[in-house]
Amino acid sequence: MTIAFFLLFSWLMVTTKSRRQVVAVTLVGTVGAALIAPRPAMAQLSLTGAIQAVLDIVNGSIQAALDSINAVRSAISAFYQRLVWPVNLINQARAQITQMIGQYRQRMRDIFESDVGSATLAATGQLEAVMRNKQTSDFNAVTTYFRNAFGPIPADTAASPEDRAMTDMDDALALGSLKTLKASDAAVDLTLDAADQLEDAASEAAPGSAPFLTAAAVVASIQSQALTQKMLAAELRQEAARVAHGNSERKRLATNTNRLGDQIINLLKRN
Amino acid sequence: MRKAIGQGLDGAKRSFYWAWDHKIRVVVLALVLVLLAPQPVKTQFIDPCCAIMGAGLSSISSTLSNVIGGGLSGILSIERNIFDFERDIVWPQRLIDEAKGLVGSIQGIYAQIESVTQIAVNSATLASTQQLEQNLLSRDSAQIGQTGGYYTAVYGPVPGATSAPVEVRNVIDMTDAVAQAAMKRAIEIDHLATLELEAAERINRSIQRAAPGSAPIIEAQAAAWLIRANAYTQAATADLMRVRAIDLAGAAADVKSGAMYNSALGQQLIDLLKRQ
Repeated sequence: MTIAFFLLFSWLMVTTKSRRQVVAVTLVGTVGAALIAPRPAMAQLSLTGAIQAVLDIVNGSIQAALDSINAVRSAISAFYQRLVWPVNLINQARAQITQMIGQYRQRMRDIFESDVGSATLAATGQLEAVMRNKQTSDFNAVTTYFRNAFGPIPADTAASPEDRAMTDMDDALALGSLKTLKASDAAVDLTLDAADQLEDAASEAAPGSAPFLTAAAVVASIQSQALTQKMLAAELRQEAARVAHGNSERKRLATNTNRLGDQIINLLKRN
Repeated sequence: MRKAIGQGLDGAKRSFYWAWDHKIRVVVLALVLVLLAPQPVKTQFIDPCCAIMGAGLSSISSTLSNVIGGGLSGILSIERNIFDFERDIVWPQRLIDEAKGLVGSIQGIYAQIESVTQIAVNSATLASTQQLEQNLLSRDSAQIGQTGGYYTAVYGPVPGATSAPVEVRNVIDMTDAVAQAAMKRAIEIDHLATLELEAAERINRSIQRAAPGSAPIIEAQAAAWLIRANAYTQAATADLMRVRAIDLAGAAADVKSGAMYNSALGQQLIDLLKRQ
């Protein structure tokens, strides 16, 4: 490129005829030469300075930054291992769970499973056994044994419709509660199994897996609470029926007393 | 040969005369030639600049490998240490998977419990009592509207104004009200408990999909549900206490009204006997 430019420029300079053409070619030539001329090289002294500057940066600020990062990461590592998740305390917690399982689980189970049955007669013994057996497949037997112990609903010729309705409702809610309690007893055993499983898992858990167990335990608590509510609902029904029964008798007593008082006064007036 | 030399000398003489006659052009050409001439290239062995650069680069390389390389490898070693610790001690994949598996197993237990609670416990044998019992065991708060009617069908209405004194009618009405309210609350609580079991199942499913970092968030939600469940239990307990309180008050009212009634009846009898 440079050679071609120079040859062209030389030819133009030699072949021009007038002074004006010489000036024009000169102007164009010098501008062109200035544009394509190679740049001057750097001095040796500034190169040494630049190398030294790079070395200074590496040895200075970069080394200091790396040292700081190293120190911070070391501190974080030590913080994790000694303060947040110390392995010895993790193992200690697991050991404590295992120890408590051994110390309490069977003992509490034995207390809970001790027999509380107290009936002495055949009919009541059957009812007591069936209402405490924690089974949910023999609800019909509960009804049968209940009737054996507490008697059937009176026939329509043997009692007033009100009495029959009330006794039927009382019996129904009492039986409903007894059946609900059989289901609750079965649920209690399953809930205790769930608690055992959670505790077993906790005895082997890591800090990162424990939140799953905690969350599951909280959910299990919600479910237990829901079951408690179902039992409370049954108790509410039963108590309400008991109060309603008493109130119904109060209604009849008030009406009868009123009628009796009127009859006595009328009798006395006639005499 | 001599001729060629002579021609060369003639050419040079002519060029010299031309250059003498065109001095400006020659100067311009020389100037442009100087501008365009390539810069000299420096040799690696003789030029001191290359030696300095070589030494400088070598020094930079050594510094980079010692200072930066050493520092980075120190950091890498600590990072590896932290990573191993977190992977093996804090969040071991095997234990996380086992915990998730256990959550599924616990859910299975509660599904079993829920199916047990769904077994029908109704036992009434008469038409009116069956209606009331069905309503009470419905677990459907939308059916609370019918509870009052079914209740009255079994336990009778409040006596009319001519059939009983106002004090007795008040006690009867209050007792009926609290008994009915307790029955309605029982339906509500049953319904709420069913919804809580449904929510608990959903939360359990989300725990099985959670990460160690998101499990505490789900746990917080579960804790909120537990608080809510506790509140409903408290409400049910409150209604139970109300029923018992009104029952006690009713028993006391019976004694009071009995005493008043006996006293009034005795007085009426004495008045009648005196008149005769």
